[in-house]
Amino acid sequence: MKNRIRSLVGAAAVSSMMLVGAAAQAAEDTIKVGILHSLSGTMAISETTLKDAMLMLIDEQNKKGGVLGKKLEAVVVDPASDWPLFAEKARELISVDKVDVVFGCWTSVSRKSVLPVFEELNSILFYPVQYEGEESQRNVFYTGAAPNQQAIPAVDYLADAEGVERWVLAGTDYVYPRTTNKILETYLLDKGVAPEDIMINYTPFGHSDWQTIVSDIKTFGSAGKKTAVVSTINGDANVPFYKELANQGIKAEDIPVVAFSVGEEELAGLDTAPLVGHLAAWNYFMAIDTPENVDFIAKWKAFIGNDKRVTNDPMEAHYIGFNMWVKAVEAAGTTSADSVIDSLVGVAVPNLTGGYSAMMPNHHITKPVLIGEIQADGQFDTVWRTPGLVPGDAWSDFLPGSKDLISDWRKPMSCGNFNTATGKCGGA
Amino acid sequence: MISKFILRGLDGRLTAFLIAALAYVVLIAIGNLFIPEGSFLHVPTYAVSLMGKYLCYALLALSVDLVWGFAGVLSLGHGAFFALGGYAMGMYLMRQIGTRGVYADPTLPDFMVFLNYKELPWFWYGFDMFWFAAIMVVLAPATLAFVFGWLAFRSRVTGVYLSIITQAMTFALLLAFFRNDMGFGGNNGLTDFKDILGFDIQSDGTRMGLFAASALALCLGLIICKAVVASKLGKVLVAVRDAESRTRFLGYRVEHYKLFVWTLSAALAGIAGALYVPQVGIINPGEFAPANSIEMVIWVAVGGRGTLYGPILGAILVNGAKTYFTGAIPEIWLFALGALFVGVTLFLPKGVLGLYGMLRQRFEKTRAPRETKRTADPVSQPSEAE
Amino acid sequence: MKAFIRFSIALLSLFFILGTSQGMAAEDPALKEKISALAEGSYSDRAQAIQSVAATGDDRAVPALEALGEGLLFIVKSDKSVVIGLDEGATVETFDPVTGDSLGSVPSGAVDKIKVNNRLRREIRSALGALTLLSDDPKVRLAAAGAIFKSKDSDSIELLDTAIAKETVESVKLAMQEARAAAVLNSSRDMAEKQAAVALMADRGNQSALAVLLNAKGSAEGPLLVDIDNAIAAIEKSLAIWDLAQNAWYGVSLGSVLLLAAIGLAITFGVMGVINMAHGEMVMLGAYTTFVVQDIIRTSMPGIFDYSLLIALPLAFLVSGIVGIIIERGVIRWLYGRPLETLLATWGIALLLQQTVRSIFGPTNREVGTPDFLAGAFKLGELTITYNRLAIVIFSLLVLAVLMLVLRKTSFGLRMRAVTQNRRMANSMGIKTNWVDAMTFGLGSGIAGIAGVALSQIDNVSPNLGQSYIIDSFLVVVFGGVGNLWGTLVGAMTLGVANKFLEPFAGAVLGKIILLVFIILFIQKRPRGMFALKGRAVES
Repeated sequence: MKNRIRSLVGAAAVSSMMLVGAAAQAAEDTIKVGILHSLSGTMAISETTLKDAMLMLIDEQNKKGGVLGKKLEAVVVDPASDWPLFAEKARELISVDKVDVVFGCWTSVSRKSVLPVFEELNSILFYPVQYEGEESQRNVFYTGAAPNQQAIPAVDYLADAEGVERWVLAGTDYVYPRTTNKILETYLLDKGVAPEDIMINYTPFGHSDWQTIVSDIKTFGSAGKKTAVVSTINGDANVPFYKELANQGIKAEDIPVVAFSVGEEELAGLDTAPLVGHLAAWNYFMAIDTPENVDFIAKWKAFIGNDKRVTNDPMEAHYIGFNMWVKAVEAAGTTSADSVIDSLVGVAVPNLTGGYSAMMPNHHITKPVLIGEIQADGQFDTVWRTPGLVPGDAWSDFLPGSKDLISDWRKPMSCGNFNTATGKCGGA
Repeated sequence: MISKFILRGLDGRLTAFLIAALAYVVLIAIGNLFIPEGSFLHVPTYAVSLMGKYLCYALLALSVDLVWGFAGVLSLGHGAFFALGGYAMGMYLMRQIGTRGVYADPTLPDFMVFLNYKELPWFWYGFDMFWFAAIMVVLAPATLAFVFGWLAFRSRVTGVYLSIITQAMTFALLLAFFRNDMGFGGNNGLTDFKDILGFDIQSDGTRMGLFAASALALCLGLIICKAVVASKLGKVLVAVRDAESRTRFLGYRVEHYKLFVWTLSAALAGIAGALYVPQVGIINPGEFAPANSIEMVIWVAVGGRGTLYGPILGAILVNGAKTYFTGAIPEIWLFALGALFVGVTLFLPKGVLGLYGMLRQRFEKTRAPRETKRTADPVSQPSEAE
Repeated sequence: MKAFIRFSIALLSLFFILGTSQGMAAEDPALKEKISALAEGSYSDRAQAIQSVAATGDDRAVPALEALGEGLLFIVKSDKSVVIGLDEGATVETFDPVTGDSLGSVPSGAVDKIKVNNRLRREIRSALGALTLLSDDPKVRLAAAGAIFKSKDSDSIELLDTAIAKETVESVKLAMQEARAAAVLNSSRDMAEKQAAVALMADRGNQSALAVLLNAKGSAEGPLLVDIDNAIAAIEKSLAIWDLAQNAWYGVSLGSVLLLAAIGLAITFGVMGVINMAHGEMVMLGAYTTFVVQDIIRTSMPGIFDYSLLIALPLAFLVSGIVGIIIERGVIRWLYGRPLETLLATWGIALLLQQTVRSIFGPTNREVGTPDFLAGAFKLGELTITYNRLAIVIFSLLVLAVLMLVLRKTSFGLRMRAVTQNRRMANSMGIKTNWVDAMTFGLGSGIAGIAGVALSQIDNVSPNLGQSYIIDSFLVVVFGGVGNLWGTLVGAMTLGVANKFLEPFAGAVLGKIILLVFIILFIQKRPRGMFALKGRAVES
């Protein structure tokens, strides 16, 4: 008897887990929106803000009467910066909580992890962060920047406006910096930069001792040619990096650093007075003076109840993505994934920088590219912006593997990786 | 000879467990595949793959208990063996994608195409064959464990020193696998698997099959561990755990015993990893993170160290709680998890199974006060000291 | 920020005084017009406008240029006039850009800030260099010479000649000569003059001289090229030696960070045997204490901001120490004799503390400022030593020394050692072992808190702070030898220096992996670390 009881305890524990699933089937009078952002672990630092931003957007929409006459209901889960858990939670959101759309993910690996889930269960994911490109999936809408919407304009600006001839490509060793730096390297070599004028450096996640690398950059930068650093250093490692730059006295006038992952939120943890003039390339800055943005910031501060909180580019991406989804659902008259996916392409909504962003057939959006200089108050001052909107390019033209690929999810092509050289749709 | 060895472990308790497990798998299979959706008895595929994942964790916890509960070796690096097994399986799954990758390259996985690899690195050869991958699932972690254990046990590195260097080992591997130059896909790891042994990895049938395979692996693992523990080898291990020097002075080659069980444990962890990867759909260096390895030890402690059944229960309980809490109270679930760990160590020093034993003893004490002097099962009671 | 503005006001008024004291001629409309041009057109137009302002040689233009560089130059929307302004939130206080006369406050909507970018800042710097080279203040003249050295502006050579002739301060004169040499190499002057300049650069023999030479090499030919090549070779040779020293310094500095992170653990883990996974969180608490202290000081008494770290030190010690004592009394005292279970319980505590901090302070990084005296760097020969790193090195050694004194020379230290060596015996001798345990754990935690104050100067202050140090700390303590503070010191320094010497060859990631493998192998050789405790207690 004793034996049997013991072994049944395990079985019962597992079965009870299933009941969690069964119990969660709630009434159908709301439209559910899943929010899949880490609230604990290493990525909580960036992602928690996005969860709050989503809650605010949903709140605002409900005040306007919801969508299709129904209220929106947010379903928040915590994937805890654990990549397999992202897949599990995505599955839970779609098949247990029955959400109609998910807004979430920050790192590339979390997106890669949930991608098969969205494909299998045919749901919709809005991904709000700048990323390395080389992807276009039917169920995913990329509202962050592709490399051609961030990296390449930034390099052009440095070369033209600042006369930079020597480049340090410094990044954290993961896919986004690797790919971005590959693209930039090819681009720079094509522009006639000599190979010895490009220095590439990779560091581990959370790297905190930057003494050697900063002094290497200093040495590399004193070879007589104007030098700039293109930084794809990831969130956490940035604060010690900038502190070391400031302390070793690297001024923006001498060696400017242009970053693609440093926004208002990251600068909030830093004294920016010694960093004035270093640059960042984004599609949105909090300091942009448009009525939409002023309104958005006011609502955000009121919602979060803190006058000092800042807004940043991924928040704007969620703002755009959410409004696109609302518009597409209203156009389609239903929340069913297939109809919404079809009606999303071509939807245009106002962005916060004084224009309209449109969803393109490759599921990326059109955005302006802004170059800003860091100010003493932790904000960015826009020193340059593209004259028009730049469409996101899913497949970079500067990588040998992807230069023949295009993506178009409209019928009849309906393909994320169409090879123009062979005339065939690439993978599955 | 081998059957005799196995049979020794096969006592009534184990038989009951195996029968229960079998019944459980069959019930779930019927509930998932044959009962239509919408019925109360239908088991959703989501729950199947979730439970499959828990079973892999349970096997992993079992392997940790084998070395910690019975040989006194506290490994803070078992995640490394788990992840190595997972990577071996992941490499096989990557090779199976073939031309269905986004760049449609017949041999190179996608990440190699966009990082400009010209040809497949040598260590990827052979992983297009399942049998080779299956061997590597066991061989890769076992080899690492053998080399590491041979060095460490021979030099009599024990106790907390050993724990810390196992942690250093998994940390070094974490950093190494994060490097894109290693050829394992860096931080993004291996994802987007299509099929396994020709079966579509996303179909309900395959998921059910993987779940059943995990249950089977867990049962086999338990039978093997039971057999090891019940053999003379197992008795020597317990002696090593409780008084290593004394055992050595009695003439036993302590390091050989430890090395054997350590390598066996790593192989089991590797198998758990291999079954885990197709069910969650990703393997990434994050699995090497020292925090993960510490969590594994906690599953064992929660369930009850040195009991073999306890860790299985602990892994399922803790992960079930994690699944539940991260959905139900996403903002504050870490409080619940942290409190669970503190509470278990303070109030349930022998884990949940120990609680059951304690309650039972108290119950019997009140019923038959004369019969208090029960001799404890020497195997299931690890000593307090190191 | 406020302090920064005040500083700027002071700076500006200084220039106004300078401007007036020079007794310049009456109002010059041409200069005003040139300054107005700073506001309009493309960045290239405005770069030219700056050059034309500089070309006037009129030092009354200095305040306007300074203001432009600092982002304090505004354009009035109504009449397009250019003014210097101090942003006071809702209003902007405006001044005439040439005379410095106050023009009163205007609402901030009425003026637009004139934007500058890096290129303009460079232009401003070299323009100011030219305009202030004849200033009365030797410091300003030195800065001016440095600016010209960087811009290598060949138009400034005559001006430099004048300045050098007038110069009385030796060091400033030298800087001017070097600036002149750099400018000459960048000009079309004759060979002999350029060769003299190369010789001067070779004498200077540092990184920036090397930069000037490398820059000049492109257009050089004949004997000049030979000279330059020789000079470059000589400088590179001497720099290579300095490089070694620099690496050693970086190593010591990294080692001191490791030491600070590990030193509290050397008490809780090394002396007491508690596998304290919450150690990192004690460091984090210290860092957050610093944040809170600075936050209060910023809002209530900004004047004493420079002392904020000194105030934070004892507070951080108390906060972490008290939390440590609570943990010891609440949890750990039930677990003595079961070291591995302390691991599990403290891991749980670590999760609790992390989430608590996340709930209170939010998940994002908090800003911990650097007091002025810790900002920047100084040169020791060709070594660049940043003040904050130097402070951390000294501080870590100081903490270690004080801790050693406490352990060796105080009665508390004596009791502590007694309890850890033989608890029962100590108890029989009348030592309150419970109390000593709590105090010891509190001491270790408090020291971790102090470490947090120091680490907040170089790292993120976020809920994840502790996690990033915990593994390294354990490795340092184990590598050095558990229970031995000297071991912790030597362990930390060895690992720091080894890491920094590996990094240039192997890269940051591979270097760290090599080091980890080395530690694993080293432990095989010496299973109890570098400085193992001897005796029978070891086996238990």
